[in-house]
Amino acid sequence: MTVAILVEALTVEFGRFRAIDDLSLAIDYGEVRAVIGPNGAGKTTLLDVISGVSRAKTGRILFDEKLELTRASEAQIARSGVRRKFQKPSVFEALTVRDNVEIGLGGAIDAVARERVDKTLETVGLAAEAGRLAGELAHGQKQWLEIAMVVVSEPKVLMLDEPVAGLTDEETERTSALIRALKSPERAVIVVEHDMDFVETVADRVTVLHEGRTLFEGSMARARADARVVDVYLGR
Amino acid sequence: MTDKAHILSRAFEDRIFVGVAAAVALAAVVVALFPGLSGYRVNIAGQLACFALLALSLDLIWGYAGILSLGHGLFFAIGGYVIGMHLLEHAVATTGVTPDIVQFMGWKALPDWWGPLESFPVALVAALGVSFAVAFVFGWVSFRSRVGGVYFAIITQALVYVAMLLMFRNDTGFGGNNGMTGFQTIFGAPFQTPGVAKGLAATSLLVLFAALVACRLLMIGRFGRLLVATRDDETRLRSLGYETLRLKLGVWCLSAVLAAIAGLLYVPQVGIINPRVLSPELSLEIAVWCAIGGRGRLAGAVIGAVLVNAIKFSLSATMPELWPFVLAGLVILVALIFPNGLLDIGRWRPTWISRPDVLQPGDAKP
Amino acid sequence: MTRFIRKAAAIVLAIAFMAAPALALDRAAIVAQACGGPGSMTEAAAALTAGVATASKDDAAWAATLSGAAIERTLKCGSPPVIAAPAGARDAATLAPATSADGTSPLLSLKNRPLFETARAAATLFSGVTQGERGAALSALERRAGSLPPELFEKAADAETDVGLKERILGVGQAALLNSPDVSKRISAIERISVSADRRSLTQVAGLKTDPAYATDQAFKAAVDAGVASIERRLQISNALNTLYNGLSFASILFMASAGLAIIFGLMGVINLAQGEFIMIGAYVTYAVQEVLRAAAPDLLDWYLIVAIPIVFLATAGVGVFLEATLVRRLYTRPLMTLLATWAVSLLIVNLVRVGVGTQNLQFVTPSWMSGGHLLMGDFIVTWNRLFAIVFAAATLVLTWVVLKRTPLGLNIRAVTQNRAMAGCLGIATRRVDMMAFGLGSGLAGLAGLALCPIYNVNPQMGSNFIVDSFMVVVLGGVGTLAGTVIASLGVGQINVLIEPLYGAVAAKVIVLLMIIAFLQWRPDGLFAVKGRRK
Repeated sequence: MTVAILVEALTVEFGRFRAIDDLSLAIDYGEVRAVIGPNGAGKTTLLDVISGVSRAKTGRILFDEKLELTRASEAQIARSGVRRKFQKPSVFEALTVRDNVEIGLGGAIDAVARERVDKTLETVGLAAEAGRLAGELAHGQKQWLEIAMVVVSEPKVLMLDEPVAGLTDEETERTSALIRALKSPERAVIVVEHDMDFVETVADRVTVLHEGRTLFEGSMARARADARVVDVYLGR
Repeated sequence: MTDKAHILSRAFEDRIFVGVAAAVALAAVVVALFPGLSGYRVNIAGQLACFALLALSLDLIWGYAGILSLGHGLFFAIGGYVIGMHLLEHAVATTGVTPDIVQFMGWKALPDWWGPLESFPVALVAALGVSFAVAFVFGWVSFRSRVGGVYFAIITQALVYVAMLLMFRNDTGFGGNNGMTGFQTIFGAPFQTPGVAKGLAATSLLVLFAALVACRLLMIGRFGRLLVATRDDETRLRSLGYETLRLKLGVWCLSAVLAAIAGLLYVPQVGIINPRVLSPELSLEIAVWCAIGGRGRLAGAVIGAVLVNAIKFSLSATMPELWPFVLAGLVILVALIFPNGLLDIGRWRPTWISRPDVLQPGDAKP
Repeated sequence: MTRFIRKAAAIVLAIAFMAAPALALDRAAIVAQACGGPGSMTEAAAALTAGVATASKDDAAWAATLSGAAIERTLKCGSPPVIAAPAGARDAATLAPATSADGTSPLLSLKNRPLFETARAAATLFSGVTQGERGAALSALERRAGSLPPELFEKAADAETDVGLKERILGVGQAALLNSPDVSKRISAIERISVSADRRSLTQVAGLKTDPAYATDQAFKAAVDAGVASIERRLQISNALNTLYNGLSFASILFMASAGLAIIFGLMGVINLAQGEFIMIGAYVTYAVQEVLRAAAPDLLDWYLIVAIPIVFLATAGVGVFLEATLVRRLYTRPLMTLLATWAVSLLIVNLVRVGVGTQNLQFVTPSWMSGGHLLMGDFIVTWNRLFAIVFAAATLVLTWVVLKRTPLGLNIRAVTQNRAMAGCLGIATRRVDMMAFGLGSGLAGLAGLALCPIYNVNPQMGSNFIVDSFMVVVLGGVGTLAGTVIASLGVGQINVLIEPLYGAVAAKVIVLLMIIAFLQWRPDGLFAVKGRRK
């Protein structure tokens, strides 16, 4: 297994606040990694830096052992195959569901592309809604549409920021099935989530962040047993 | 092939658009061929076409990309000033009469560097090139640093304001306060020649028609959908691998060039260009036309521009002092009751009962 | 003229030999001279001028009266000579009431008139009852300081009780010393003059370059050259201070206009394009207060600017609250539409005022406490009207700061600015906070209108003069930070004023705009924006 995302000695500061503090981390192809931690631990910031939204103060992030993400623009990063779903569901409300997924795919829309869009819509269960405006969808459907927009391009690294926030139990169940289906040897999936049961069902390994540093790395079962993790997070 | 059919079916979806485009084409035919029309009406039709084109250009950037420019008068003025310089050079070349501007500017003759503008193609390229270049530089520095929304609006307003102050100075070299006037001939024909006014008005209407159709095709295609995506959630679009800077810069430059064409067509019809077209009020009015007609649907911009200016023309003949009140009232009415412009009268319901801020699906965001 | 100079020199010498204590004037002899021919009148004037410095206060007062009588031709040279007055004639020498008022008045020649005027001024400088009288006398003497004995001023300065006037007298005395026959005295006078620099001293010292001594005396030449250089340098400094001062007053108005904009923008994300018209309303309400006071309480007219402060604030805040409740609130999620709607409101206000009041500039009374200024250095005058604007803005800044940091409203405004949803969850009535903040911002703009009444023109279009600059301040300063607004106002205000004299007002605006665009490349969210996770 090769390393998909390699984070080396990363530090991110906002003014005087240090959001990520000398963090190092490796995420392999083929795994689903959950990043958990209390609020303010630096989880979303980590995704921001990987996707180029925020800039690091020091340190670097390598994708596929080649591309230095800390220097690339957001669009370059996305085109290289690192895609992300945001915490707040953000779909293009004035466009149709199909338009949204086509934009996610990019490039010219030929027969092959259309087939891929159809297949993706099928996977997330939105085939029946293809012609509707995205703004009319229910909250859970928007979450899935956003996942569809990201996965349609078959990314090598897929980052999901709180994919089940605000979903019903049944929708959560469907989402975790979807994520398991997205797991593949050519892909690394990073999930940031607060729902521990959900994390346990989807993640191969978890990284617990605390105050911008790695507190623990390993399986969810061991994380639950770790005294430090229980202290800062689980045992509240 | 299927893609084309797709676009066409969408194009005919919106009956209002088809209606407006047909009306513009019909107006062009009537103006060109119908002999009974008074010169005044022909002129008004031509001016309205220019304003509609100007509104159309703003709608591209505001209605689709969600970027409000309060300085579009700048590009209109660039087109106007360049054609003004062309007409002056042309008048000297055809009639040999020294224009007034030479006198009140204290020159001996028109500046040498205006010389090449005597050729219309050169003037056309210059107008489009300058407006494109200005838009490109300003757009690049603004969009690159992610200036948008209200910031962008007030910075463009400052831009047009500063341009107005510059052009009011005689030293700037474009006629100062007086601007340029006293145009004698166009394409060798004196302005009084019957048919010149008709030709100008019909050309304006035809250009408007062509621009409407071209913009429509562009906007319902991939480019237009990406613009709408930029408007709705730019960060998201960037994270999907799109350089939104290019998208925004592209539509911004296109919009600027269209505005310059409007100015180019407008000035020969009114016979004057001066710094007052650069006043922030005019640029704000352009936005008002779009808002009143309804943003993000092209036809709305045309309807708004024609409606507002028709009222303005008729009032300025009878009760000019009433005009500001009518305009202000219209804007407030549209802002409060028809968030998407008068085109929404059809599906209107009292918005203060249902929350006015809630977005209707398909509505243009601010 | 030469005769006079000789005479003056003689008098100077005479005085130099005189004893210091009060020396009585020979009143009878001087009266006799004043009643003589033109030549002896000259001597009388010279004796008066020379004598007052060492005379008693009583004699000085008599000298002032006699010179005045000569000038106004109320001196009747009968036997004895008397001074005629509506209250009854008095003896010219003793000022005791006299019976007869006969005799002709001696004719004052064109040459003698200024001499007697000088004598009267010199006498008044010693005997004047009020500080104003003595000040006026000094101003009269100042123009002829060169022809007067320097000792006169030293003595007058010794006798002077008012500190400011004493300084002035010493200064004029220095100028007199410039023409002393003693070169070393002249040089030391040049050196002392060069310290207090204004344009007049420059003329005085530079004028010495044509003096014969300039060509012959090396030390004198060096002193003059050094003096001119020093004064010119000081003049440059005072000019710079003047510019800074004007910039500061412009920045003060800008600050008051923009602080409200920035607070509202930070809170609601909307820019109020009618802010310029709130400034205008503030100025018009100030005018209304002035007119009401003029009609109802003329005694208070001098204080109309102070009386107007609460009224202007409440009136413009009221209009702001009304605008927020009827219009802005409904457009809260559509900030660009708010721009257009508030522009329509500004159009409405301008035209209502135009139709209702007219387009002419309003005339404001300059209160007595605000006219003039204090000459601080060289040409640099601290004018009271601009100082009023500056002090007023500073007070407004402090008060706004207190409101934002120390009151429940301020806490709510900051809470809603930072996280509207959360503030709402905590039970803060966010819409109410919006309304209050909009009122506060509008009130501040109104106060800006009040402060600019004594400095700028007030007419329906005035708002547009400030509005673009205010926007630039908001863009530059960023939102939700008072410090940013202050610094940006100072920056924009000073750059405007600094560039204007060099390249013109238009260039100033162009450069401000270009600088702001360049600045945004570096900090897109303004000067003091807190960096954070992008939302």
